[in-house]
Amino acid sequence: MTSAIVVSGLHKSYGSTHALDGLDLEVATGEVHGFLGPNGAGKSTTIRVLLGLLRGDAGDVSLLGGDPWHDAATLHRRLAYVPGDVNLWPNLTGGEVIDLLGRLRGGLNEKKRDDLLRRFDLDPTKKGRTYSKGNRQKVALVAALASDVELLILDEPTSGLDPLMEAIFQEEIAKEKAKGRSVLLSSHILSEAEALADRISIIRTGRVVETGTLDQLRQRTRTTIRAVFADPPRTLDDLTSIHDAQLKDGRFTGTVDNDRLSAAMAELSRHAVTSLTVAPPSLEELFLRQYGNGDAA
Amino acid sequence: MNQTLTGARPLLHASLKQDARNIGPWIVLITALSATSVLAYAWVFPDLEDRRELAATLGANPALSLIFGPARDLLTPDGFNAWRAGMLGAFFAALMAIFIVVRNSRAGEDSGQAELLASGVMGRQTRLAVALVMAALASVVLGVFSWLVTVACGGGWVDSLTLSATYTASGLMFAGLAGITAQIGSDARTANSIAVAVLGIAFIVRGYIDASQAGDWAVWLTPFGWLEEVRPASGNNWWPLLLALGLAVVLAAVAMVLSARRDFGLGLIAPRRGPARGGLVASVWGLALRINRGPLISWLIAFAGLGMVFGFLATSVGDILGNSPLVRANATTEAGLIFAFLVTILQMAGIIASVFGVQIVMRIYAEEIDYRVEPVLAGALSRAKYLASNAVLAFAGPAAALLIAGAVIGLIASSAEPGISAGDVLLQALATVPAVWTLIALALATVGANPRVRVAGWLGIVAAFALTLLGPLFKLWDWILGISPLWHVPNVTVASPDWSGLGWVALVALGFTAVAFAGFRRRDVI
Repeated sequence: MTSAIVVSGLHKSYGSTHALDGLDLEVATGEVHGFLGPNGAGKSTTIRVLLGLLRGDAGDVSLLGGDPWHDAATLHRRLAYVPGDVNLWPNLTGGEVIDLLGRLRGGLNEKKRDDLLRRFDLDPTKKGRTYSKGNRQKVALVAALASDVELLILDEPTSGLDPLMEAIFQEEIAKEKAKGRSVLLSSHILSEAEALADRISIIRTGRVVETGTLDQLRQRTRTTIRAVFADPPRTLDDLTSIHDAQLKDGRFTGTVDNDRLSAAMAELSRHAVTSLTVAPPSLEELFLRQYGNGDAA
Repeated sequence: MNQTLTGARPLLHASLKQDARNIGPWIVLITALSATSVLAYAWVFPDLEDRRELAATLGANPALSLIFGPARDLLTPDGFNAWRAGMLGAFFAALMAIFIVVRNSRAGEDSGQAELLASGVMGRQTRLAVALVMAALASVVLGVFSWLVTVACGGGWVDSLTLSATYTASGLMFAGLAGITAQIGSDARTANSIAVAVLGIAFIVRGYIDASQAGDWAVWLTPFGWLEEVRPASGNNWWPLLLALGLAVVLAAVAMVLSARRDFGLGLIAPRRGPARGGLVASVWGLALRINRGPLISWLIAFAGLGMVFGFLATSVGDILGNSPLVRANATTEAGLIFAFLVTILQMAGIIASVFGVQIVMRIYAEEIDYRVEPVLAGALSRAKYLASNAVLAFAGPAAALLIAGAVIGLIASSAEPGISAGDVLLQALATVPAVWTLIALALATVGANPRVRVAGWLGIVAAFALTLLGPLFKLWDWILGISPLWHVPNVTVASPDWSGLGWVALVALGFTAVAFAGFRRRDVI
């Protein structure tokens, strides 16, 4: 299967700032790919290179099999984009903007347009300046989702949406995925990525530091163990398989490498355990671990 | 301190610090206008003979009094300065004040900064009051600075002070006006447009009254007329300045009252609903037309009005022109005299039209930094097509405006003066278009290829204005005057007009446009 997006060794500098520093990214056709990273990590810069708005300094970029810089106009017929910060023309109505962006892409699916306006509860007759942030975001979402394209590039698409609308967004993305569309979903809302994404790439200071399915990422990190002992041990030195072991008010916490899990269980069972939880790391923990410990990337 | 003005001191401090580099160039340029006239006068017109000739030729030319006002005394450096830099300096001081007030009051509401401020410990009226105080401070600093520099360059103490005081007075009056338009318009762009329109109308009406020598009472009809009556260097009549100060205070007070009654972020004109479907806007050409629709309509109406003013002026200047040896040298009949006057007038209209064109060009970049080009270019259209949609409008709009003005001038002038043909006037306007396009194409080249130097687009207009209208005053060489594309526009009624210069000008315009498109395809878009 060919990939919708292949980026390798991409560099981009603005003056002395190195925004992208050898970024690699691959989005397979038909998958929803979560693109995670904190503010300023280079997510939007990557997306602008993919859209042919910026030209990379070095590296290879392939989008739907073409070169996003040279073939921008033809490739853009096959993709739709939702910016993270939607700036509408103050004097144009939402309906006008939806039709403009749709027509520029080569046409809209009228039925989907009506359907999405209803589902997102958006009034298309209001002027750009009178929309709230969430409603501006909905204008861009309707414009993107109402067109039948192969690839959706979404840059923090749900910022400003209320939880109800967020749920509708997730349903719509699931529908797109069922139709075999590819989605690049940039986000820092981890629950959203966890719910939607087949695979995830985590970006940090301009390079991708982790990539894989959520299960694969979990495999690479330690499992968290919480336990309560009937008779707390005086020392934790005998728990050699467990990292970061801590005992506080009778409650024990620690982390363990996945291949040492049974050894850790054996060590714990020497003590009288009254309660035990063994949890795989949540995406949030994965994420925080990537960013928490200095420059260990 | 008054409750409604809480927080004024820290806000003023921060705003001045941030806005100083925007205000500085205005003060320097206006001061330079005054100082250079004193310096250049002694150099260009060293003896009485030259000065008499200057007074008899250019000083008597009504096309120039349209811009500069009446020439009262061109035999002294201060008198020359009062003429060359008086009205023009007052005009630019007014523009400076308008931009300061709108930028520091209304613009903040559009961008959201004001919301941050308004939620802090800050009175309801503080932001407007601070903007007005800033404009007032800038006007006073301009006055003092221009006074001292002009004196240092050889101007008289009292004469220079009087002239500089008219700048301050103009800045104060139009700061008050901008305070009001900032409450009326529903965004900064509208507030600026209304204020600049009022400024433009006041200036043109003043010019018409001066050039047609309409009478003593008519001078008092505009605030610029009051400043003229201050008569720097030929009487130094101070009391009209009090009138100006009074108007400034009244306007500012009205602005403060209006601002107290207005909802945050809204104007007196409430936003309406619009169409649910794309219609015209659903293409990039329609989009360009739609976002420039307001300015387009305003400018076309303005040029019809300008055509009327210039047309009536042309009919009333025949007699005055007869006395002007400069014009007499170029033409022999009265109709010929009037047409030579119209050539100059249409050059002036061309410079104004290029302001309109450059405005549309600069809008391209404004859209870009507001991240509104990004979603459009994410659609299936080439960058060239996007740039073209705006470029076509930037070229066609000013051309249409100029032709409207030419047609109106032609109709009015030909009905009053049988020797003038309306067709010739229209043709003259058409001949001015390529020169206007060159100025617009220069701006397009900067925005297309390298927006960091886009200020060159505005400087091009300033240079063309200086060379076309001020250059001849300094008896500059032809090769310098020829830098202005307008210099190459021939008089279409002479026996065999020389079109070659215009051909070169058109080629330069084409070259700039090519640079714009080549550059826009290559550069990063924000």
